[in-house]
Amino acid sequence: MISAAVFYGFSAFVIFFSLAVLFSANPIVSALSLAAAMVGVAGVFFALGAHFIAAVQVAVYAGAVMVLFVIVLMLFDLKKEESVSLAYIRFLKIAVVGTILGLLSGAITLSGLDSSTAILAADPASITPTKKLAVLLFDKYLFAFEILGVLLLVIAIGVVSVSRIKGGTHAKS
Amino acid sequence: MSQDAFVVTVNIIKMSVIFLLMVQLVPLLVWVERRGSAFIQNRFGPNRVGPLGLLQLLADAVKFAFKEEFVPGKSHKGFFYMAPVIALLPGVLAFGTIPLSIPFTLINEGVSHTFSTQVFDLGIGIVFVLGVSSLGAYALLLAGWGSANKFSLFGALRASAQMISYELALGLSLVGIILCFGTFNFTEMIAAQQAPLNFFFLGQEYTFLSFLPAWGIFYQPLGALLFFVAVFAETNRLPFDLPEAEAELVAGYHTEYGGLKMLMFYIGEYGHMMVASALMATFYFGGYTIPGLTVEGVQEFFSQTLAIESVNLISIFTMLVFHLVLMTKVILFLWIFIWVRWTLPRFRYDQLMDLGWKKMLPWAILNTVLTAVFLLARGV
Repeated sequence: MISAAVFYGFSAFVIFFSLAVLFSANPIVSALSLAAAMVGVAGVFFALGAHFIAAVQVAVYAGAVMVLFVIVLMLFDLKKEESVSLAYIRFLKIAVVGTILGLLSGAITLSGLDSSTAILAADPASITPTKKLAVLLFDKYLFAFEILGVLLLVIAIGVVSVSRIKGGTHAKS
Repeated sequence: MSQDAFVVTVNIIKMSVIFLLMVQLVPLLVWVERRGSAFIQNRFGPNRVGPLGLLQLLADAVKFAFKEEFVPGKSHKGFFYMAPVIALLPGVLAFGTIPLSIPFTLINEGVSHTFSTQVFDLGIGIVFVLGVSSLGAYALLLAGWGSANKFSLFGALRASAQMISYELALGLSLVGIILCFGTFNFTEMIAAQQAPLNFFFLGQEYTFLSFLPAWGIFYQPLGALLFFVAVFAETNRLPFDLPEAEAELVAGYHTEYGGLKMLMFYIGEYGHMMVASALMATFYFGGYTIPGLTVEGVQEFFSQTLAIESVNLISIFTMLVFHLVLMTKVILFLWIFIWVRWTLPRFRYDQLMDLGWKKMLPWAILNTVLTAVFLLARGV
């Protein structure tokens, strides 16, 4: 009962802030709404018993990645973006979001899988605890895990080298 | 009352108690900060209002409550009001996961219930604390940008860049202690620090200095140092208080704030300090335990020596004794925070970034690798 209330509460939170990401004219409000939505997703994970993923979601996405986005946005001159609130753009936004939302909820309904109650009804003991997750990650899926790590390293080095080609932050033009 | 409603009520009460604990400690800490700084700098400090200047706290509180409330003209009002509230949240949430004492049991009409002294006991306590404390950056960003003030914005940008940079060193410096005790859970970590100090090497046990407890500091001195330095940066305290460097930025991200909103930023900062001190005590200094003080011993003291008969009272008093042990450690670390603030000068911003990325991060990685190698060589 309580866990269901928490689950649906956080779900409503996520939906509200996801819509706020799309409909706010101010990019900073959008970015902060996205961060709030990520915290909400962490809350949903939490309600479902996946504590580790919830904490990592907050620490990595909401706590680090989105902060960088927000920092960058705050350095821009946003007067133009804020003033653009033309009727047809708003209409376009609502139409696109509505279509996608309809398609998604239709697909979920058609799949005939009442996922939310199925997960909520599951025995809490059967939900993978952190240790099990770690054992799987460092045993069965070690290769994939390490390869992903190497991939991220390659991306990081690539970004640095690409951004340094033209003088990096000290570029003239 | 149904079981669910009971649990929810108990948790709400616990959360309120922890929040009030934080709020109540702040005026005292402000007093210690001012008197302590005066002591360090050979001044008097506030000593006129009441005994030892203690009533200064009350005067300050009244001043904060009655200041004129204002919002800068071109600011984003929502963000401006939201920021101080968000500044309070990470500290309270993080403090909620730290076990403040042993659990206590209340028996009423034959029904006994054990209350743990933390709001939520998570298997992943450490990751959760790191996660929520990283959200503290948003309060500063919202305050800085929402104030529509260049100094505020600069302060906020500095703050968030600094917090993100030092979070890496902070997280990595903790990996060593997690490896040593093999758990993310605070309670298990404290339990692991009860044994006398022992070292294993190639399957052979060496016990020297065995009168000492197996506290994390003896296994992870480098990790403890790195952690402590990193939390200074996370709490935006001197020598890392670049976000509010008053010589350069007026007051940084809270330039435009006054009255109670300003006070909420203060509470947030001191809350961060308290979380950091409690974590320091939990990871490296045995949490709520000290050698020679056992649960049975304390219970016997209350039941035999003081002849208290009520089982409930004994349970509560025992819990309070262990809570006092933790608070003593926390207050010691809080004093070190204040001591350092009034002793060291501020870093330059490039020095701060150099220290974080080029010195602390490599040392933290080295600490992790060394710990892993030693754990492998332990041979147990």
